[in-house]
Amino acid sequence: MSNKDTSKTLHPKVAEARRDMETGKLNRREFVRFAALLGVGAGAAYAMAGLPNPAVAQDAANLPFPADDPDAKMGGALNVAMQVQKMEDPATYSWIEMSNQTRHILEHLSFTGPDNVTRPMLAERWEASEDLKSWTFYLRKGVKWHNGDDFTTEDVLFNFTRWTDPDLGSSNVGLSSISAMLEEKDGKKVLREGAIEVIDDHTIRFNLAKPVLSFPEDMYNYPTALVHRSFKPPFSDNPIGTGPFTLVENVVGDRCLLKRVEGIEYWGGKVYLDEIRYYNFDEDNQLTAFASGDVDAIYEFGVEQMELAKALDGDIIPARTAQTLCCRFQVTQKPFDDKRVRQAIVKAIDNARVKELVYPDGGDVGENHHVAPIHPEYYALPKLERDVEGAKALLAEAGYPDGLEITIDVGNTDGPWHQTVAEAMRDQLKDAGITLNVNVMPPSKYWEIWDKTPFGATAWTHRPLGTMVLSLGYRSGVPWNETKYANPEWDAALDAAESTLDVEKRTAFMEKVEKILQDDAVMVQPIFRPVYTIAAKSVHGYPGHPTQCHQFNKVWKA
Amino acid sequence: MLKLILRRLVQMFLIMAVASLLLFAIFDTPDFKKRLAVQELGGFAVSALSEDSYQAWLSERGLDAPFYIRYTNWIGSILQGDLGFSYEKNREVGPLLLDRLANTGILAFFVFALMIPLSLVLGVLAGMKEGSVQDRTISFISVFTTSIPEIATAILLTVVLSLGLGWLPAKSAMIRGFEFQQLILPVLTLVIYDFGYVARMTRASMAEVMTSQYIRTAILKGIPYRRVVMRHALRNALIAPFTLIVLQLNWLLSGVVVVEVFFEYDGFGKLLLEAALFPDVEVVQACTLVAVAVAVVSQIISDIGYTFLNPRIRFA
Amino acid sequence: MAVTEIDAGPSVLDRLSRPKPLIALALLMWVPLTAYVMFGGRMDGYADTVLLPAVPATVLLYVLGVRAFRESWVAVIGLSLVFFWLLAAVSAPYLPLLDPNKPIAPFVTPFSEKRDVFFWLGTDFKGRDMLSRVIWGCQRVIVWGVSATMVAYVVGALFGLISGYLSGWWDEVISFFANVLLSFPVMVLFIVILNYLGPSGFNIVVAVTFASAPAIMRIVRGLALDIKTRDYVFAAQTRGEHPLYIMIFELLPNVRGPIIVDACLRLGYTTVAITTLTFLGLGLQPPDPDWGLMIRESAKTAMLWKFSYMLLVPALAVSSLILGFNLMADGLREMSLRD
Repeated sequence: MSNKDTSKTLHPKVAEARRDMETGKLNRREFVRFAALLGVGAGAAYAMAGLPNPAVAQDAANLPFPADDPDAKMGGALNVAMQVQKMEDPATYSWIEMSNQTRHILEHLSFTGPDNVTRPMLAERWEASEDLKSWTFYLRKGVKWHNGDDFTTEDVLFNFTRWTDPDLGSSNVGLSSISAMLEEKDGKKVLREGAIEVIDDHTIRFNLAKPVLSFPEDMYNYPTALVHRSFKPPFSDNPIGTGPFTLVENVVGDRCLLKRVEGIEYWGGKVYLDEIRYYNFDEDNQLTAFASGDVDAIYEFGVEQMELAKALDGDIIPARTAQTLCCRFQVTQKPFDDKRVRQAIVKAIDNARVKELVYPDGGDVGENHHVAPIHPEYYALPKLERDVEGAKALLAEAGYPDGLEITIDVGNTDGPWHQTVAEAMRDQLKDAGITLNVNVMPPSKYWEIWDKTPFGATAWTHRPLGTMVLSLGYRSGVPWNETKYANPEWDAALDAAESTLDVEKRTAFMEKVEKILQDDAVMVQPIFRPVYTIAAKSVHGYPGHPTQCHQFNKVWKA
Repeated sequence: MLKLILRRLVQMFLIMAVASLLLFAIFDTPDFKKRLAVQELGGFAVSALSEDSYQAWLSERGLDAPFYIRYTNWIGSILQGDLGFSYEKNREVGPLLLDRLANTGILAFFVFALMIPLSLVLGVLAGMKEGSVQDRTISFISVFTTSIPEIATAILLTVVLSLGLGWLPAKSAMIRGFEFQQLILPVLTLVIYDFGYVARMTRASMAEVMTSQYIRTAILKGIPYRRVVMRHALRNALIAPFTLIVLQLNWLLSGVVVVEVFFEYDGFGKLLLEAALFPDVEVVQACTLVAVAVAVVSQIISDIGYTFLNPRIRFA
Repeated sequence: MAVTEIDAGPSVLDRLSRPKPLIALALLMWVPLTAYVMFGGRMDGYADTVLLPAVPATVLLYVLGVRAFRESWVAVIGLSLVFFWLLAAVSAPYLPLLDPNKPIAPFVTPFSEKRDVFFWLGTDFKGRDMLSRVIWGCQRVIVWGVSATMVAYVVGALFGLISGYLSGWWDEVISFFANVLLSFPVMVLFIVILNYLGPSGFNIVVAVTFASAPAIMRIVRGLALDIKTRDYVFAAQTRGEHPLYIMIFELLPNVRGPIIVDACLRLGYTTVAITTLTFLGLGLQPPDPDWGLMIRESAKTAMLWKFSYMLLVPALAVSSLILGFNLMADGLREMSLRD
């Protein structure tokens, strides 16, 4: 395998890191660690860096977790406030909280870290073919299940077969990687013959119907935790995993207690905690639970609680994410079927100012194209400028010289900040003669109309790649296309970007993708919000993850 | 007497049957089912579901059957002692409800243990000398405390005793097992709200007794005032408050909702609210049945007690 | 909590209802206020002028009220507390207040200045002025509270009159349904009804009616049973009047007296219920301010001594209004006993 080929078929960040190494921003040893983490076999990584390959470095360098902390104290229990939910079937999980309870027991093929970089976990590395239609995963050797079995391709095959069983109803079939392994049979989507190829005990190949870029990222999607080949739901009754912890007790709506597995040597190096205890608190009450000293850390607190958090004795841990709020128009409904109206609204709003008002600490300004600066393929378009006069002119041209009255539906599905965004927009739109009515409804009501309302504020969660979310939400006719946007030119531009693994080339393709979407003004998307959590000063290494995934391998408590 | 009790009990079961049928009908709307689906599967997922898979989900949950069929099934299992299953808590409703009722029971025990002596003593003191300074002060205090809603009392107590002075924990989640300290604020809140009402009724009853002929005669006969009050007045004056106190049990089932939610105490009230919002139908059903049963039974007890305590009725 | 002891004599009633101008004034205050709160959003240009006549009406009503209640200082204090909030409610658009929904600067403590604005009661977590939110909030609490109580009374009194006057199977059926509803703890009933109808002001009115009307019905029924044996009812019956006429023109005026005391207490309960329900997330909806909502929003952001003003302000506001209603009821009862 030549150096050139590796960089092309492996993680986009490898190329970036290699550039950094060549320009001196990254030293060679750092590059080796980084590249290894991204799925480049350690040997190849050393070769790329032009260094001799030391036999011992291989193991340590290839772990996806942060480095060991020499000051770490072994033992102790970490008490975390989070909603405690049921642990029925990891493949059909619908909430992150469920997967967090399981995440310490079950592990994934890959691991998307707090830095939004995806690294191999139960896989040792992976390779993609040139056309991105064939992905080969090399499983890590020496991984043991809690019952003593070896982790092999048999387990991986078992899991993929389960996920693609149409009767199971796993949301994994919606992932672009898995859906490219399916075919239609008798009105049902089933696994295509030959889509999965077991090569040996530790090598497995996936043959896809179309190029897929995000295979490694998909494998850390929260319902893709790998269960033992003997798995039968509910998981909580027979919690066999490969992770460092096992389940002691799970009482829904009350507590979930996990303790270290005994008798099995964990593959992932040192783990400090003895116990993890989740206690049930609603999102609103987690910070107050922390304030009263009941827990050491929490799942999340909202931006409206920031002042309270600052006043408490703890470390606030923000995570940069691509979670956002799309105040999107349905381009088939009046008056938003007129592009000039949409452009006028977008022009009258100052995204940076809205962000400043709602999320003064952290976060990124959105640019109405739903690609976040932390996405690897993000292309920086010229900054958006507010243009009230231009907005007025466009409105007049569209036939509304005396102003326009519109209503936005807000469900606060992700916290009261949705409403704050809408209110800030209302104040800014006033200057352009647009009256915005903010119609607040309960979250469950909003979910009933989210893809039907002419103008609504929908929350979209973080996805590691920009192309993943664009493909889900804006391609012509896809189920989650809430804007009813249909532009063949844009679809083609996205296709081009999606079939390019090289991050530099992909970024170049993204310019067109982002530009068209921005010009067509399908949404006001002012904020990529940060997520906040808090941990006591005695807790070290508590991760702030863009999708609030809990991986506590290197967390310790003083 | 027995006939009356029987009549009441029959009425209770009739009411329970009507109430639960109504609840089943209410929670049968497509709206509620959709909400349940959103809770279970997540909002995005539900709206991406095809009509077929949604129907499949409904039938898997047994929600596709008409509500009267589900109702008869439910009645059948209730009669066998099975209260159903909680979707939200993933548990049998029976043990879940028992757990929460026990917690509310602990709360109620301390509330009554504090409220009964306090309100009776204050009520008697006030009613002994109607119109005195003592009477007016106690009356004003009781109007004042009853006027402050529980939510406001809870806030005032938390702000002063917990956030300000730091003497007591602000929340009562009790995640590490029972801690008496965490029980103090909820108990105080309920006592402060409720004692004034009982005290005023005791006062009225006491005042009436004190102006009655036989007490006046006793005083005129020269029996020491203290003895008149203790021996003769009290017994008769406490009949009305007794019935009232039993009825407070019914009130408490309403009153605990806001207190338990504010202090995050895992009791009956919080369970009911969470279940209604979820919507966890079988838990709401079970909670309602318990509430109705408590209401009716406490009514019966208070009636019986009144009959037994009141000589005028017993010997009539 | 059950309401007992309703025995206000006719004289209080006379004092209250004799002057017809009093009713006219009350209407002049109440109709614009209700219209403003319920439909204000739909009156674009002239919304602010609607309340103009209500301001002097409220002041005058207060003066007349104090004169009528002057014998009982308890009632006067109660009246003053209630009218303080009523006046705040009707004059809110004309007071020099900041926009209650506009974020200015978050977490400003009371009596301090920030961004050249002086905040008497500080600002909340979003930076909205607390003073203005408390005053605007009382509009919603009062209007929905009083409307709900009034509707409950109309429904309860109607069924009570029918049940008491007509007796027979009318009485059996109505009493059974009243018993069904009464055997629910109030909160259970509220939660079930509002959960079914969805949270909104109008639905609160419905829920309060279901919860309160049975008790009102029982009171009115008892009174009607008593009054229907009086001579003037017999006279009307022998005149051949329609039962409906007798109920409305003979019975109703004579049950009004005792009901007024009960109404004052019930107004208090309803206000508490609305605040509590909004706190629980089942009542009025954001963004417009009201006290329950202020408590709900602050409960998760202000659990700290230095932010506790955010909880205390709405808590004290709601307590003072309810204290007002209860003192008024107490004073009325006291006066009726004295007569």
